Amino acid sequence: MSAQRGSLVLEGISKVFPQRGGHGEVTAVDAVSLTIQEGEFLTLLGPSGCGKTTTLRLISGFELPSAGRILLDGRDISYRPPNKRDMAMVFQSYALFPHMNVYNNVAYGLRAHHIKRRDIKKRVVQALEMMELGNLASRRPHELSGGQQQRVALARSLVVEPSVMLFDEPLSNLDAKLRVQMRSEIHKLQRRLNITSVYVTHDQVEAMALSDRVVIMNGGRIEQIGTPEEIYRRPKSRFVADFIGRANFLEAKVESAAGDSAVVNLLAQTVTLPIDFAPRVGDTVVAVIRPEALKLQENPDLKQVVIEQVMYLGSSVDYVVGVDDQRLIVVDPDPLFGNIYKEGQKLGITFNPETVYILPK
Amino acid sequence: MIRLNLGRPIMGFLRFFRDPVLVISLLLIIAFVGVAIIAPIYKMVEESRTEKGRELFDRYLNSPVYRQIIRNTIQMGLIVGALGTALGFLMAYVQVKTSVPFKRFMHFMALVPVISPPFAVATSVLLLFGRNGMISKGIFERRYDIYGLDGLSLVLTLSLFTVAYLNLKGMMQALDPSLDEAATNLGASKFRIFRTVTLPMLLPGIASSFLLIFVEAVADLGNPLVLSGKYDVLATRVYVAIVGLYNTTSAAVLSIILLVPSLMVFIVQRYWVNRLSVISITGKPSGRPQQITHPLVRWPLFGAAMFVALLIVLIYAVIFVGSFVRVLNVDNSFTLDHFDFVINGYGSEAMKDTTRLSAMATPIAGILGMLIAFIVVRKKFLGRGLLDFGTMLGIAVPGTILGIGYLLMFNRPHTVDWPLLGTVEWMPKLTGSKAIGGGALAIILVYIIRSTPAALRTGVSALSQIDPVIEEASVSLGAGSFATFRRVTLPLIRPAFFSGLVYAFARSMTTISAIVFLTTPKTKIMTQQILNEVENGRYGNAFAYCVILILIVLTAIGILAAVVGTRSGTERTIEGGA
Repeated sequence: MSAQRGSLVLEGISKVFPQRGGHGEVTAVDAVSLTIQEGEFLTLLGPSGCGKTTTLRLISGFELPSAGRILLDGRDISYRPPNKRDMAMVFQSYALFPHMNVYNNVAYGLRAHHIKRRDIKKRVVQALEMMELGNLASRRPHELSGGQQQRVALARSLVVEPSVMLFDEPLSNLDAKLRVQMRSEIHKLQRRLNITSVYVTHDQVEAMALSDRVVIMNGGRIEQIGTPEEIYRRPKSRFVADFIGRANFLEAKVESAAGDSAVVNLLAQTVTLPIDFAPRVGDTVVAVIRPEALKLQENPDLKQVVIEQVMYLGSSVDYVVGVDDQRLIVVDPDPLFGNIYKEGQKLGITFNPETVYILPK
Repeated sequence: MIRLNLGRPIMGFLRFFRDPVLVISLLLIIAFVGVAIIAPIYKMVEESRTEKGRELFDRYLNSPVYRQIIRNTIQMGLIVGALGTALGFLMAYVQVKTSVPFKRFMHFMALVPVISPPFAVATSVLLLFGRNGMISKGIFERRYDIYGLDGLSLVLTLSLFTVAYLNLKGMMQALDPSLDEAATNLGASKFRIFRTVTLPMLLPGIASSFLLIFVEAVADLGNPLVLSGKYDVLATRVYVAIVGLYNTTSAAVLSIILLVPSLMVFIVQRYWVNRLSVISITGKPSGRPQQITHPLVRWPLFGAAMFVALLIVLIYAVIFVGSFVRVLNVDNSFTLDHFDFVINGYGSEAMKDTTRLSAMATPIAGILGMLIAFIVVRKKFLGRGLLDFGTMLGIAVPGTILGIGYLLMFNRPHTVDWPLLGTVEWMPKLTGSKAIGGGALAIILVYIIRSTPAALRTGVSALSQIDPVIEEASVSLGAGSFATFRRVTLPLIRPAFFSGLVYAFARSMTTISAIVFLTTPKTKIMTQQILNEVENGRYGNAFAYCVILILIVLTAIGILAAVVGTRSGTERTIEGGA
């Protein structure tokens, strides 16, 4: 597999569907532009109906764009039929052929490409071994567990050595434990084989764990593109901050602003925070504070809060606290034994200013 | 306190008995299936095993004439099975997999044969393509001899392909589009996908359609009576044995010979084909079904399907026109005499009787079918497979055979001697002269057992798609088995119930083979009357009967749709969930 394959460019891609039953139109994907590097793992993330699946189906060729172009390694493939696109997709339902055994499922793509029989056998066996399916070759899909079916689907896609792998929520049918395990396997596999991958999910943890870059979509548009860390720590909008992880939003008044920082009053503390827009003094801004950045202390000098709810999760404790008619989530990420606060308790609240990010109101 | 260790099986049994409504209805159903289906068939088998019967077996199986008849029957079954399945496949494929105009029209024309009375299609084809046919002689100027295998195959194929059409259409729609997409995505062409994914996935449907049509074809009585000519088949022989020779033993023996392939096919279909099934209903199907757009594939398919649809239109046009003219193709002057004969004259009694008896049988068959489906799918007890099988025998067994079974079984009253009550008559005489209700009860029973199997099957497939936890929720909220069935299950399977009712009524109105021996001078049945008119060459009257029969069926469907019908299947959305 040459390293020069698999750069994918979307140029102002739109998709308009006629409205079901009615006469209107629905814009599922709205002028999306994206560049995906060779070997990159890119995730399209967003709530249902945000256009992520349609974008994937446009890339795979099952839908044709209403406007815009798709380039694969510099060549326009916007209207190329899906069986001529050199991409392999892993489906949410796996879409294993139920009337074929594992071997024939994996061999399907090679046969469709008229590969020589001897080579087919070699490559299928190789792919099955890579996915640790060697002893299941003669089983039918319904005789396999969910995780095994998932592996077969992966093997079937990998064996054709596509330029681009496409994943349509492939883990959503697995139970929680298996999902974590398969997630790690997909991660290892992709890093090892270095195949350009486009991955659709609505699970933000999955997106963060797997991706080089994450694309947050909402209403058919891209909200933000960035590395998982950028998306988590520097969300460009309240939507992104809320969708990725949990966030507290606190309004604050700007006391002074200078270049790339501003002084605000937050939870009875005056702090200087970095800022990437230019507010005026007296403006109200929104501070994004992750729950783990907040700390509860028995300290009367701090802003006082009342604990309204306590949920013990083992590795952490979630507190819901009330402050000035607002609810905040506070996570204690490493609770010590016997050191859990009680509901109704009054405590002081503080935070680590380095983790606070300011958005315009 | 004494603790009894009764063991699991007994505990299970007792739990079952905690639900008296269920137990009573189950016992009633078993009694009904036993008396109305199993007993008559058994009686017929018994009759064929008498001394005289064994002799006849010997004679028939060694006589070249009868061997030829058996070969004819099987040959005709195979041809019609293959053609009917192919035609059903074509119509379904065009409907589901291509985007062409006039789809609704073609769909409707594919359904029309279900409500066609016997003899209608055969007589119409005779007038179109027979020796003096309007097309064969009128347009091509040939005296075509349509009697025999060719005519029979054409007529039976057109009459029976709807089963394959509905069966395969349902399967094609249920195919997960993501399988097509996965194959496309792996580089397969459309033809390759058809060959390696679509066709193998549909194989069980193709096989079961073939077998169903085979059974229906060999059991069919009406069409061979009109069209077989010198090409003798078993079903007509059975009919002649009763009606012409009054020899019930001979009829029973011939029936057994006819029963063997039918029953074999039924068992193969039930235990082998079902195991082939690979279509599983998974969560939400992803992707959108891809359609054939290539003009060189699309338009020939469209042309073929349209040709068939138009042929059906032509056949029914002949029936319609034929009922309004004196003698079609001979004296084409307009007349209402035929309708006068049916509505006001001799036929009015048959019209009323048939409709009344069918209307009585329909709700019973519909509810019985749903109830048995509910019990078979949801309740675990020994013998539920047997109950299903026994009910299905009602349709698996050729109609003539049931008719003879009824004659043998119910031509006398049945009594039982009780120690205190004395002799009690538990089943009066149902057939022949002095039968109860002039034979009407026997006919209703036959209508019910002939249409319950279809309701049972639609009920079973609808029920197995509904998550049992919905019913468990009802039970956990305090509802009993019966309340759960009535308030939760039945509304959820209403579409299946509706199609069961429609089928039951249409089937009852159009059935001939099963009731041909059961009509009495007191109970006149339309299909029987049509047969008389056709046999006497009074096609106009026959066509008028057919038109009226079709109108009655259509009206009934309209009424059923208004009463039980569905609003575009809103119930289905519940199953899908969010």
